[in-house]
Amino acid sequence: MALQILFNFILALCWMFLINDYSAVSFLSGYAIGLFSLFLLRRFFQQRFYLINIWAIIVLLFIFIKELLLANLAVLKTILSPTLKNKPGIFAFKTELTADWEITTLANLITLTPGTLVVDISDDRSTLYIHAVDIDDAEQAINDIRHSFEKAIKEVSR
Amino acid sequence: MKKQQTNDVILQTVTKIACFIILLFSFHIFLAGHNNPGGGFIGGLMTASSFVLLLLAYDLKTVQNILPVNFIYVAGTGLLISICTSAGSFLFGAQFLTHSFGYFDLPLLGKTELATAVLFDIGVYLVVVGVTMTIIQTIGERE
Repeated sequence: MALQILFNFILALCWMFLINDYSAVSFLSGYAIGLFSLFLLRRFFQQRFYLINIWAIIVLLFIFIKELLLANLAVLKTILSPTLKNKPGIFAFKTELTADWEITTLANLITLTPGTLVVDISDDRSTLYIHAVDIDDAEQAINDIRHSFEKAIKEVSR
Repeated sequence: MKKQQTNDVILQTVTKIACFIILLFSFHIFLAGHNNPGGGFIGGLMTASSFVLLLLAYDLKTVQNILPVNFIYVAGTGLLISICTSAGSFLFGAQFLTHSFGYFDLPLLGKTELATAVLFDIGVYLVVVGVTMTIIQTIGERE
């Protein structure tokens, strides 16, 4: 992905030299034209067309914002309820992610979800230990994490 | 065509970079056509030449995987665009092939002259790319 972006930058610079106009506008139009030619020959590269990755990052960003709002609302509900009915506990979550930044992102996102908090990561980096405000629905929390966050992060790094 | 085992590392690596630069230059030539030398015909030929460079560096199958386009349809689309933009003048009560232009304030680009002749040129461009690639691929497929 980074290589394609760099290549796109070089193509935009080439375009500026071609039309002999060194302004931000000509850089942008060159970038757009370079993007088009990269798209035309996208199967040339081993990785997929990099705009898909950028789209995946944007999707991840929106998931982050949504979860941040939901988490705070859930905490508000817990605080304001007159009786404390929740049962705290710690459960393990086996992750399929391998890269360091992926695990870090997943851990940060889990911490921001309603009622869960990453406590520790196992030495072989395959299991996350998560503290839940309500251990009774841990199974559901695992499913939620697997289907929303892990999938979105995998989509970025594919 | 016999499958010969050759080691074209240098040719293939240079092609990877060069064909993008040729594509860029062909777009430049295409857009410069209104006020400077250039236009749809030479732009289309240069685009086709960058694809031909791919064909020279790689075999026919690889290029068809990279560009899964039936170039006959490209030529057909180009003809259709040219006819539509020529006949579009009927909508304004003008004669066939009448073209007009105007100045528009585009966001980012500022004051730009937009001419309907460019639309016609896109048709020419696509026809040239389509026809050239069809000729070369058809000859290349022959044993």
